Amino acid sequence: MDDFLSHPAVQGGVAPFVVALVVALLLGPLRLGGLAALAGFLTAMYFVFGFQLTPLTATRKIMLLAIAAPVIGILADFAFKPTRFGAAILALAAAAAALWAFWPVLAQRPAAEAWVLGGSAALTLAFLVGFAQLYLAEDAVRAGAAALALGLGTGVAAILAATAAYGMLAIALAAGAGAFLLPQMIAGKKAFAGVTFTLTAMLVGGLIAAGAMILARLPWYSLLALALVPIGARLPVPRNAPVWLQAVLLSLFGFIIGAAACVSVWKFPDASLG
Amino acid sequence: MRKLAIGLAAFALPLAAAAEVENYVFDAVHTVPYWETDHLTFATFRGRFDRVTGKFSIDRAAKTASLEVVIQTASVSTGDNERGGRARTRDEHLRSPDFFNVAEFPTMTYSSTAVKFKGDDPDAVEGNLTLLGVTKPVALRIERWKCGPDPRFAGKRFLCAGNASGSFKRSEFGMKTFLPTGIGDEVKVWMSVYAWRQ
Repeated sequence: MDDFLSHPAVQGGVAPFVVALVVALLLGPLRLGGLAALAGFLTAMYFVFGFQLTPLTATRKIMLLAIAAPVIGILADFAFKPTRFGAAILALAAAAAALWAFWPVLAQRPAAEAWVLGGSAALTLAFLVGFAQLYLAEDAVRAGAAALALGLGTGVAAILAATAAYGMLAIALAAGAGAFLLPQMIAGKKAFAGVTFTLTAMLVGGLIAAGAMILARLPWYSLLALALVPIGARLPVPRNAPVWLQAVLLSLFGFIIGAAACVSVWKFPDASLG
Repeated sequence: MRKLAIGLAAFALPLAAAAEVENYVFDAVHTVPYWETDHLTFATFRGRFDRVTGKFSIDRAAKTASLEVVIQTASVSTGDNERGGRARTRDEHLRSPDFFNVAEFPTMTYSSTAVKFKGDDPDAVEGNLTLLGVTKPVALRIERWKCGPDPRFAGKRFLCAGNASGSFKRSEFGMKTFLPTGIGDEVKVWMSVYAWRQ
């Protein structure tokens, strides 16, 4: 059993997917199925880094922010109506969260590098969260496909950028998104995503990608390319297509953008500042 | 009274000389910490750190000593640092958050808390290793030790050199990636130390 649980594919994929699927099935009827994204991420976090909080490293700050995101999301979903102003606030908060998580590392870098890395991270987080709130939160299939593609793209990119651990965390996020999508695809009925799912998925995915840039070898332009992944999930699909087909097509669009980001890590790695 | 003072001073002078503390600074070129750990449960894998600084002081009469070592974690090397068409090297992977997380923790340090002597020579060191922001006690055994004029400088410099070894569990420092079967938990350290008297 220990051998099984210590396998990277189990820690980053199978276990997060199983846990996330249980969460999606149990909490979906309560409009909290979006917590599957957090469940997937935390499962991998437990295996790869553990749940310790000291010393408070960038990775552990990502875990804290991941836990905080659905708390804010649930509050926003149940107490407020979605507005453009709310999306802007969340986008700015996400950028600030990225700077908080990585500031101690950026402060050790030369100023020019710190600006490029910190600016790319803040911009990416703001765009991911803002775009998702404005254009994906109301459609659980689009939101799920965006998170699936972002998690998978970030995961592969992070592995190519020399951090398999961050790769596993991102793939676990993708597994959580997949678990969120699967019941919708089987039932043929869209669930509720809201801020709970989109904020968690985009914040965690963006922070992992930013971490792979600042702490490992992901080039800054690859991070910006990953930020564009959710746009793929916003592209048009046949309105009357079954839910499973919409999920497949939208995920595929996101995968294509994610693949381009991965190719940029592979083919043009030397300009990375990490 | 004057005679008494002179007498006391004459008595104390040799003691002061005997209790003199000698300070040494590492020769960074020859001081190299090596490490080894299990890989895939198949074989033992080794690496080293290329940049290390440190100093120690020793009082042979009082049989006391202290040691401080600072290792630049980004200098970790396993000989695989050319990408050769790959996306990344093993050394880049070791520098990532998976292992030494060098961007966040550029140094690891070792500070002695006690040094035990065997005869006139130091034999074992108790101290604290700080790695990834976590400090834990780690003991070092001194396997070999010799002091004398450095033959490379025609005896003009006084050298102390030797080898020390120890071990620790990386999981205790929060380095958990690929435990337990991918990469082993126990890390053995073996170090060559060369230091010149100041």
